[in-house]
Amino acid sequence: MQVEKFYYDNRIVKNFAYATILWGVVGMLVGLYAALQLVFPSLNVTQYGTFGRLRPLHTNAVIFAFVGNGIFMGVYYSLQRLLKARMYSDLLSKIHFWGWQLIIVAAAITLPLGLTNGAEYAELIWPIDIAITVIWVVFGWNMFATIIKRREKHLYVAIWFYIATLVTVAVLHIVRSIELPYSWLHSYTWYAGVQDALVQWWYGHNAVAFFLTTPYLGLMYYFLPKAANRPVYSYRLSIIHFWSLIFLYIWAGPHHLLYTALPNWAQSLGIVFSIMLIFPSWGGMINGLLTLRGAWDRVRDDVVLKFMVVAVTAYGMATFEGPMLSLKNVSAIAHYTDWIVAHVHVGALGWNGMLTFGVIYWLIPRIFSTPLYSKKLAANHFWLGTLGIIFYAVPLYWAGFTQSSMWKEFTESGQLKYAFLETVTYMKPFYAMRSLGGTLYLIGACLMVYNVYKTAKAGKLVADEAAEAAPMIKEEARHKGEHWHRWIERKPMQMMILALVVILIGGAIEIIPTFLVQSNVPTISSVKPYTPLELQGRDIYVREGCYTCHSQMIRPFRSETERYGEYSKAGEFVYDHPFQWGSKRTGPDLARSGTGNLKKSDGWHFRHFREPSSMSEGSIMPPYAFMLTQELDTSSTAAKINAMRTLGVPYADGFELTANEHLLQQATGIVNNLKADSIRISPTKEVIALIAYIQRMGTDISKQKNN
Amino acid sequence: MFKFIQQYAEKIENIAVYPMISLMVFFIFFIVLLLLVIRMDKKAVQLLSNLPFNSNEESTIQTI
Repeated sequence: MQVEKFYYDNRIVKNFAYATILWGVVGMLVGLYAALQLVFPSLNVTQYGTFGRLRPLHTNAVIFAFVGNGIFMGVYYSLQRLLKARMYSDLLSKIHFWGWQLIIVAAAITLPLGLTNGAEYAELIWPIDIAITVIWVVFGWNMFATIIKRREKHLYVAIWFYIATLVTVAVLHIVRSIELPYSWLHSYTWYAGVQDALVQWWYGHNAVAFFLTTPYLGLMYYFLPKAANRPVYSYRLSIIHFWSLIFLYIWAGPHHLLYTALPNWAQSLGIVFSIMLIFPSWGGMINGLLTLRGAWDRVRDDVVLKFMVVAVTAYGMATFEGPMLSLKNVSAIAHYTDWIVAHVHVGALGWNGMLTFGVIYWLIPRIFSTPLYSKKLAANHFWLGTLGIIFYAVPLYWAGFTQSSMWKEFTESGQLKYAFLETVTYMKPFYAMRSLGGTLYLIGACLMVYNVYKTAKAGKLVADEAAEAAPMIKEEARHKGEHWHRWIERKPMQMMILALVVILIGGAIEIIPTFLVQSNVPTISSVKPYTPLELQGRDIYVREGCYTCHSQMIRPFRSETERYGEYSKAGEFVYDHPFQWGSKRTGPDLARSGTGNLKKSDGWHFRHFREPSSMSEGSIMPPYAFMLTQELDTSSTAAKINAMRTLGVPYADGFELTANEHLLQQATGIVNNLKADSIRISPTKEVIALIAYIQRMGTDISKQKNN
Repeated sequence: MFKFIQQYAEKIENIAVYPMISLMVFFIFFIVLLLLVIRMDKKAVQLLSNLPFNSNEESTIQTI
């Protein structure tokens, strides 16, 4: 057989590696800044730098910029070698690279400007959503065309993980991004309330599964054996790992919504599948760690293996903790607290971060054809990273437990023991310690920047690395007695379709009934659409990312109904596009801010927005004084009403024409209330709309009682 | 068509049976998978797990 000579494209790998490092440092820096804002609220400078706008920037930067580029770096390196082929098209690789970086830059500009969809990890506005779809297709096209022209008959397990990632992320992104634009930069999500919540956490959970986990498992199955120089412990286990993981993961989303207004059957479904997820996850972890059997002595000297061992161990810890957190009784304690923040950082810093660093230290010297500049610096990075994770996670686990206990503690006479604010100020030392952990981790990453820079400078990029392989013999038919999985390993399209079917089963069974069966969301007749002013106020609430710190979902516990009022019902959210239940209570729940036990006057809210600590001493909420001077954009009111009507909100025909009159009338009422409180302000300022929304929240149900 | 399905689905009464169906679907899927994997040919397994290693591009740089 004639062998063919060809070249691997290392330039694209280098580009993605540099982008990974750059955005990693940026994402961590923003995260550290946001963490410090919780300790020193004065760091909330200007409207563009408040916690509510920076937190989405941090999460998007880390997930889609740092880990995203890390995925592409690893895929472009390993795919070419596993298939014995250069990437199908250099042009597509370039479009993919630059397109992805442009999307990141667009996100970095729009998020601080307050342009957001208000859904966690899906904040980016609709034009960017479309760009993501296009670039993802470019990536898929390039990957599949390479698979088709490959020289290796069989697809190694890493490639199945890449294929599953490709199709599932596409499905998740499209379903989550169905939205109705009402301007060039704004849109409303198609779903409302409970349905939006279910779609959101089906998406959110599987963004963790198919963006942060499956592609990185693919990288683990390639780079760990390479670094250890021995094949994976059990290939059979990897097949079981792959299929059960993608089958189970897709169902687990509802565990983010336990004790909420989500129908009970959907909650149970989420719990059962989350618990079962331990097995494939641990199967994968064990497979990774046992690959090092007989080579553990090398871990002492090889910094790449050290990073990988910590990464796989962190994966094991996070995937044990995840199912435990999905139990209702554990969720009752952990949900809304900093425990969850600790949990996700064990995954992000430990699993994604450490594996990325390991791959970079392994790969950069190879594509630059020179030894790593300093082993010692890399070892220091390893220790700073590992200590950083511990210093980050331990204080927050402690904080989460303490927070939850304080929220739930009653005095002997049956009163809540702590005001919410006391529980906030108590957290400050923990937040400070967490920032220290983050700083250590970031310093470690900076050492890597220097080390990689020096290595690259000492060597020279082997942009086109020569290789030789025989062309693949076409062998389409499945011959008699052949194992089914060997057959499917030759058939990438069938593999993709099978993976798609597997994930669609879970998605469909979970989501379709909630959409179709009316009894899932019992209607409440007194729940009415928002007035134009409240709608504008709600959009400001979304713009400012209030959901990053405030929930709107009171769970049916005595400790919550005592503090906030009647527990939340599914029927209360039918006009909420998007839903704003939130996932974290750095501040108190606001679901009944207009009627419940935390109800305040218009004047109180006005002063509180201007300077939160003047009304609540020790508050760590950012000041929103700019809303007192910023004019409300009433030119969008009609378009918003029209869009909402299209989505099924029963505004009367022609209401959009008089909506602004109605808006002004309601605003004047609030201005008069403020005047009585000796505050003078024009009715067209943003703060008035936000006060209107805050005062509306949760009031519909009490109207029903009064009737 | 969709309307038809929607009307039908609105009448489903025992929606709680869904989790049971789901569990059974996975259980069967898993058992079949397990049986197939156990029956895999040993030589094939060895060949597949060595895929990352039989490329000839291996640079011999001592990096660490």
